[in-house]
Amino acid sequence: MTSGRLDVTPEPFDAQAKSGAQSQIPARNAAFLPLLLLGVAFYALCLSVAEVSLTRLWEGLPRLATWIGRSWPPDLSELDVLIRRGLETVAMATIGVSFGAIIAAPICLLAARNVGASPVFSLPARWLLNALRGIDSFVFALIFVAAVGLGPFAGVLGIALHTAGSIAKLWAEAIEATENGPVEAAQMSGAGRLRVFLHAQMPDVMPQLSSILLYMWEFNVRASTVLGVVGAGGIGQELKNSVDLLLFDRVLTILLVILAMVTLIDQLSAWLRRRLS
Amino acid sequence: MKPVLSVSLLSKRFGNLSALEQVSLDVAAGEVVAVLGPSGSGKSTLFRCISRLIEPDSGSILIDGTAYEGLTGAALRKARGRIGVVFQQFNLVRRRSALANVMTAVLPDLPLWRVASGLYPPALKAKAADALASVGLADQTYQRADTLSGGQQQRVAIARALMQDSRILLADEPVASLDPESARVVLGLLRGLARSRGLAVLCTLHQPDLAAEFADRILSMKAGRLSPLEPETHQDQVSLSALV
Repeated sequence: MTSGRLDVTPEPFDAQAKSGAQSQIPARNAAFLPLLLLGVAFYALCLSVAEVSLTRLWEGLPRLATWIGRSWPPDLSELDVLIRRGLETVAMATIGVSFGAIIAAPICLLAARNVGASPVFSLPARWLLNALRGIDSFVFALIFVAAVGLGPFAGVLGIALHTAGSIAKLWAEAIEATENGPVEAAQMSGAGRLRVFLHAQMPDVMPQLSSILLYMWEFNVRASTVLGVVGAGGIGQELKNSVDLLLFDRVLTILLVILAMVTLIDQLSAWLRRRLS
Repeated sequence: MKPVLSVSLLSKRFGNLSALEQVSLDVAAGEVVAVLGPSGSGKSTLFRCISRLIEPDSGSILIDGTAYEGLTGAALRKARGRIGVVFQQFNLVRRRSALANVMTAVLPDLPLWRVASGLYPPALKAKAADALASVGLADQTYQRADTLSGGQQQRVAIARALMQDSRILLADEPVASLDPESARVVLGLLRGLARSRGLAVLCTLHQPDLAAEFADRILSMKAGRLSPLEPETHQDQVSLSALV
């Protein structure tokens, strides 16, 4: 019987491949030109909607040049204040990501298909995760500034909500990639889903989950420099004030502080993640 | 003697393919029953249906005379604790120690923090260490599972089943991933445990010679149907080989 099956299977596959090759290539050629035209039209539309204009860029260049000229030498008189605001950004990202992880933990367990929560919980968990991920921390921060007032706490809340969605999605995907064998063995002990996860899946995914968390931290330090623009604290707020007042020597100092801070955090996070893998 | 495991008229279809057709079998305490057949004959489906890792379409499974089919939720979980299982791929948690893998058997009794941290109560640790010693792995108790050889990993899996104090042990191709020497050690161990602890062992195999050497009874599986192999042909390597 086995040999019979082996003899039979290659035949339909061959037949499929042949007929596929004959019908698909002409079909692809026929669809190619209209698709290309459609693509070009879409791109042209985008160019005009985005108001791309080389002349305006050209006319703006001298102004940029003067600003860059005026930014040198950087104004280091308030360096200590700026560094403190930079640390505020790091603190916002750190606390925001921690809160995000706490929110993400139950969501990812409900959302991961192979942990086996009932659809009554797993579907809403997936919707929630996508909703949180779909709304940027910038937008959340804008709302929280209105709700809890100006300052880093609004930023923390913004980061926490958006990051919770991202972490939950990446964590759930990592958990879904674990092998099923140990899970079956643990299920056969009669243990419930949470115990099975903690015993059989968590040890295998822990390095990945930690790596994802570190990556989100690093990412949020970079991303949350802009949160100050909506008044949600950190060095971004200094940046906005200085640009508004045309203090370009101060802007340069701020950019240098951001660059140094982001590079440092990136290196630290990359080093830690290398050690995990 | 009343069988510990009694399966009757178990059927399972996958689409048009009939994987199990009205399969019935009994396994008594202390007995090793081998199910012999080529790959694709339905052996693994039988194993997975009896352990209810997949749901059979119809038929009954009695464990110590109590119905196992049809149970759900907490009742199913409780009943599962009475069946020890050994898989072809061992199914150990790679990054946990041999001891922690044996602890899998008692997960339902442990508080969550102990499960997560791997800090087990001394009494259970002693019991798990005993189980490992009884499969000859006393020296590997704290070794990480993925550093053990295939034969050692399968013996950890058997210790895991022993820790459960179950009366039934289901083994799905337990030696298919092992070298011949380890295979004989593992099967010898299963038979020894059946004798010394009165375990009812149901074991799927595809090597006739191993089945002939280690099993008390051999059932042959072909295209989802199970038939007993008569005692007189039991040792007949030619007819056995013809099956596979």
